[in-house]
Amino acid sequence: MSDISHLIQFLFSGITVGSVYALIAVSLVIVYKVSQLICFAQGEFFVFGALTMTTLVSKGVPVPLAFFLSIIIAMVLGALIQQVLIRPMKNASVGALIVMTIAISLALRGLALLIWGRESHVLPPFSQGEPIQVLGAALQLQILWIVGITAVVLFLIWFFFEKTPAGIAMRACAENPYGASLMGINTQKTTLFAWAWGSGIGALAGMAVAPMLFTQYTSGVMPMVKGFIAMSIGGLGSIIGSVIAGLLLGLVESYTIGLISSKFSDTIVFALLMAVLVFRPNGLFSRS
Amino acid sequence: MNALKRYWWLILLAAIAVYPIIGKPSPYRSGLLIFAGIYIILAVGLDLLMGYTGQISVGHAAFFAVGAYTSGILTAKYGFSPAAAMGVGVVFSATLAFLTGRPVLALKEYYLAMATLAFNEIVVTLIIGFEGLTGGASGLRDIPPFTIFGFSLLNHLHYYYFVWIVVVLVIASSIAVVRSPFGRALIAIHSDEQAARSFGVDCAKYKTRAYMLAAVYASIAGSLFAHYMGFIAPDDFGILTSINLLVMLFLGGIGTIFGPALGALFLKLLPEVTYQFQDYELLINGVILIVVLVFFPRGLFGILTALKNKIVPRTGK
Repeated sequence: MSDISHLIQFLFSGITVGSVYALIAVSLVIVYKVSQLICFAQGEFFVFGALTMTTLVSKGVPVPLAFFLSIIIAMVLGALIQQVLIRPMKNASVGALIVMTIAISLALRGLALLIWGRESHVLPPFSQGEPIQVLGAALQLQILWIVGITAVVLFLIWFFFEKTPAGIAMRACAENPYGASLMGINTQKTTLFAWAWGSGIGALAGMAVAPMLFTQYTSGVMPMVKGFIAMSIGGLGSIIGSVIAGLLLGLVESYTIGLISSKFSDTIVFALLMAVLVFRPNGLFSRS
Repeated sequence: MNALKRYWWLILLAAIAVYPIIGKPSPYRSGLLIFAGIYIILAVGLDLLMGYTGQISVGHAAFFAVGAYTSGILTAKYGFSPAAAMGVGVVFSATLAFLTGRPVLALKEYYLAMATLAFNEIVVTLIIGFEGLTGGASGLRDIPPFTIFGFSLLNHLHYYYFVWIVVVLVIASSIAVVRSPFGRALIAIHSDEQAARSFGVDCAKYKTRAYMLAAVYASIAGSLFAHYMGFIAPDDFGILTSINLLVMLFLGGIGTIFGPALGALFLKLLPEVTYQFQDYELLINGVILIVVLVFFPRGLFGILTALKNKIVPRTGK
């Protein structure tokens, strides 16, 4: 392999990982926008998505059906959690809310352990075929799926928030819940909807990478932390910002692992996060 | 009854002192209580920062790591005495907290949570990265047991007493801190930073000091942990440990000192009861925490105080 092909290979893996981070960050942002809450249980939806789909596919359910069923299950789970556990905590402090979502993540992880056991599971790739050769670098077909899914999801989110009444209502709730409710928007329903969306996208991220990963009940922690980083670098409430930050994060990680050091790639990423938080607390892309 | 209300902590002290004599615990049992004690030190320190000063930290295990690794490396590789190494760890942690405190604590709520989380990960990845010094991911071994004045605390009961004396000192000093003018300034910052500032409280300075104090306690806990285990690995000090500490605080009742101590004790002894449910353990832990958060926002300590007030009605003075 030549140097160019190495660089391209790192690009591929960077975009793959970055897309996953971007999806998780977006799922966090959607929940954050309407609930002003960062959900520490988001990594669990990643795991539930991946493992539900793996189980369904191994039981002989056709891949497209398994795909949509897994998303719907995650959405219902997310909505249920919002309705039953988060809503009663309306007046709690940020610390208490964080610990509540931690408690939920513990319970969900415990549930995943009961359902899927301690072993790792791998999903077959969405489509069979040889990797495509690009200037000496191998492009696995699943990477195309991951990037494609990310692009479609981002387009749908953009369309939803900009063009549909429900999306505009959701933005209104994020801006000013009281004002929105005066305008006749059902804020509770909108919040519920946002949680369903967020959980679904979190699950989707897990499903998309499931063929490239050994997923087990504890696999959600690191993707979630990276999603947090992307979200914080992008400026907590910004979908576009967190997508760019997620992709950037994936690329930085991939190139530092490839070119500098695999040992310190996480040190660099987290130092980057601290620097952004301290020097640009509203995100890297905000106009201050 | 009034005497009981005032001196209940003496009964607690007596129970801690007498337990090994009456209970004759196995090394395993006393080991559990040693761990619980170490986590109580961590939780009480974090309570000063979170419960009283109102500053979230999702990275407190970073200072636990600094204490443990300073002690471990200096005693195992450079022949320091454990007490001296513990002292170096304390100074090192306090300096680190002093240097990072101001910029990090200028952040609020989620931003602060993310920054402390990042700090924790940086410390852990550095420990993993500098393999030559720290043993890397596979851990640091051959850490000698603690010695005081040449007397080695090899016996588990000796170490039990040593750790719990430190626990009592940490709790007593924390109560003294909270009742001091410094503590009142911290509480003022918690309830309203703007107002505190307009009354002349230098918020950044006080927040950094609270952070340093919490870091010092965590560092001591780390040293105690390293010498008890004889072996430490980065896994013991990651974000999950920090998150566990948060859980202890809220489970026990944040901002009460005794609450987080109770939370730590409860969470460290709970596996003794739930281990028999094996795979259900994680789910049970999560559900207990959810139930406490939803129905008892003041935590286990809140439940106890409510019970006590029922049994011993408040007398008007």
